Amino acid sequence: MSAGAVASLLLADSRFPAGSYAHSLGLEQAVAEGLDVDGVAPFISARLRLVARPEASLSVAARRAATAGAGGDPDLAALDDEHAARCPSPVLRDIARRLGSQLLRSAATAWPCATIDRYRSDSATTPRPVALGVVGAAAGLSDLEVAMVALYDDAATVAGAALKLLGLDPAQTARWLANLAPWIGAVAREVADDRRPVAQQPAPAAVGLELAAYRHAHRTERFFAS
Amino acid sequence: MPADRALRIGIGGPVGSGKSSLIAALCRELSQQISLGVVTNDIYTTEDADYLRATGVLAAERIVAVQTGCCPHTAIRDDITINLEAVEELERDQGPLELVLVESGGDNLTAVFSPALADVQIFVIDVAGGDDVPRKGGPGIARADLLVINKTDLAPYVGADVGSMLSDAAARRANLPVRALSLVEPPHAQPVAAWIRGQLTAFAQHGRLHSSATGAPHGHSHAHAH
Repeated sequence: MSAGAVASLLLADSRFPAGSYAHSLGLEQAVAEGLDVDGVAPFISARLRLVARPEASLSVAARRAATAGAGGDPDLAALDDEHAARCPSPVLRDIARRLGSQLLRSAATAWPCATIDRYRSDSATTPRPVALGVVGAAAGLSDLEVAMVALYDDAATVAGAALKLLGLDPAQTARWLANLAPWIGAVAREVADDRRPVAQQPAPAAVGLELAAYRHAHRTERFFAS
Repeated sequence: MPADRALRIGIGGPVGSGKSSLIAALCRELSQQISLGVVTNDIYTTEDADYLRATGVLAAERIVAVQTGCCPHTAIRDDITINLEAVEELERDQGPLELVLVESGGDNLTAVFSPALADVQIFVIDVAGGDDVPRKGGPGIARADLLVINKTDLAPYVGADVGSMLSDAAARRANLPVRALSLVEPPHAQPVAAWIRGQLTAFAQHGRLHSSATGAPHGHSHAHAH
């Protein structure tokens, strides 16, 4: 097993300090608007198809660009723009910036290198999908491992939040993730094998989540930052 | 060598022990002479931040609130990235600041600040929470740089023995300081404000402080500059 594969476990571990425990990725607002326990697994699947998959493509592209250009590559700035093009919501852009910044902060200590330092100083927006690719490059992850972490982390973050928002057996949320493993594995392989530039890859939109994120940000009572 | 950032003081302790009221009183005592900001870690609402803003002791933009996803202890100890970002943004937007107070969301007796977030920390308990709390101990009681026993004015009404709380705390803390106080009777928060002024002086001279909360429990006083 490669060191990169082990590093991917570390990145996917909720104990890695990247701030995601404070995010429900839209679940808190969905629950506030009526989503019940039975809706959580479909919610996770919808996010995976509409949000996490295109973001995983960005992460893989960022890993390639960071590996080739040691973090200062103009391709990374272009990927920041590609993220903004896929994420029109100012609320979700700000959340992506914060989560990316938090990931880079801890990764800069875990894997000190010029790749991370240069991206941190060059990027004004540090969207998390691009940041994850940069960190993946620094930690020695393959394209497949970056895609797996991107997809799994999205699902696990929502599942973890579900435990706090709804009365649930914690083993049940683990079952949801276990059931998704074949899908995540297959889609991670597709994402890693896609050599097209991200600009030429499909970019679905989750408009409902974008609008709900705005309503969530204006709530006075909430546990989660997103 | 002086530090190029504000002194960061963590204020932790159980829910309801009076952290927000103490911070409001400290702002009243200190904000005329010292440039300061506050980061609150609210559990569900923005009540703590709103309360502080409503007291008018500090400009509203000097007070920021972060969400901690039902994990107040995580936000100050295990994954501090959210609070570090908030402190740095506050310093960047409102700076230069001399002092940033980080208020924990309130948790159990084991929740203490990471030394990477707080240079030194104050643990606040109160007489109404049970006068056996200092005897029960825990890292906050035993190792916080300052232990505050709050609401001494309530002691006769809740059957609490402040004297035994002080002697139990002294037994747990060796020579580390303890202040018993009431925010509704003189000298109010002055003893804590005086302690903070001492920390600021040492921090200005040395650029860093050695916290008693760092590392394994000590049997001796360590809250001093090196």
